[in-house]
Amino acid sequence: MALALLALLPIEEAAAHPPFAGATGFYGGLLHPLFVPIHALAVLGLGLLIGQQRPRWRWPVPVAYAAGLGTGFAAMISAFAPQFSAEVLLAVAAIIGALIALARPVPALVGSVLALVVGIALALDSPPGGISVRDANVILLGTFCGAVILLWAVLEVAGMLRGDWQKLAVRIIGSWVAASAVLVLTWRFAR
Amino acid sequence: MRLLRWGLRASLLLMLTPVPAAAHTGSLSGGFLGGFTHPLFGPDHVVAMVAVGLWGAFLGAPAMFVLPIVFPLVMAVGGVLGILGVSLPGAEIAIAASAIVLGLMVASAARPPLWLAATIVGAFAIFHGYAHGAELPAGTDAAAYSIGFVMATGLLHLTGISLGLTVRWPAGRVGVRGTGAAIACAGLVFLWRLA
Repeated sequence: MALALLALLPIEEAAAHPPFAGATGFYGGLLHPLFVPIHALAVLGLGLLIGQQRPRWRWPVPVAYAAGLGTGFAAMISAFAPQFSAEVLLAVAAIIGALIALARPVPALVGSVLALVVGIALALDSPPGGISVRDANVILLGTFCGAVILLWAVLEVAGMLRGDWQKLAVRIIGSWVAASAVLVLTWRFAR
Repeated sequence: MRLLRWGLRASLLLMLTPVPAAAHTGSLSGGFLGGFTHPLFGPDHVVAMVAVGLWGAFLGAPAMFVLPIVFPLVMAVGGVLGILGVSLPGAEIAIAASAIVLGLMVASAARPPLWLAATIVGAFAIFHGYAHGAELPAGTDAAAYSIGFVMATGLLHLTGISLGLTVRWPAGRVGVRGTGAAIACAGLVFLWRLA
């Protein structure tokens, strides 16, 4: 819990200095999901939800997430112009946060669909800043790895939260994820 | 004792967090830090949030967990209204009133049914969220700002719960009820200033 909170703290600095400014190439892509608040929020929520729904949810949900990332990046490489990917990501993050807060059993199929959408939206919302196709592909590869590692890290931490109080802390963080996502989504439509 | 330790850790985090962040930014406007400090620099928000935690601890399980979950979710609804510019008359009065009502609930050791406690807290959450949403600075990184103020609000609840857990001891019970009375008095001062 403390580690999760601390992980969110560098967001201010990251927002002021996007990872691409100082960290380019594979490393810049690797850091992208961690330092873009919307992405970190969605992956944090997904990881906590998967951890909360264990053992009902097994490998298909994380695999659906990775498949979504791959699909999104493939679409981007194919010059697909994404629209509203950030908004979709926020909407799904709000649903995921609400599900965590409710802490009710959720079918694995629903989890897989949510994970797939998070993966696709996150990938489409991560356009590379490379000046050549090769640079762009390296950045995308880094983003893919970063997004997978981030989910894996959250999953590992969530897997340790088995105590009653820790489960409640997860539900509270879920309500924070939902509230933050709803607010940012509204702001994006209102601006 | 384990819960108390977790609560104290959360409180410690709450105290520690602004320090390193401020060292990097040099500005308290916008972004995560702007959102995080927004509830902390508003005494009316601080006392009401702490009162929610205190009341939750006083009510015990399951209210202790339900209230900190309900508050952010309903607060988001208020935040949406504020961001959209929907007029919500008397928001500042309602925020001051929240300190009075919640403080009195703690001071009087009121134990209403859970649904009523959640409704009272949820109703005030709308006004607190509205204020945060309406005061979102232009040009701010909305994502970082929103995450910041939701986190700060939640950590204030946890601080209240941590303090409230001392009700298991007689002296702690007196202290918590006294804190509730002080919060209600602070609410009266906020209301008087608005008049």
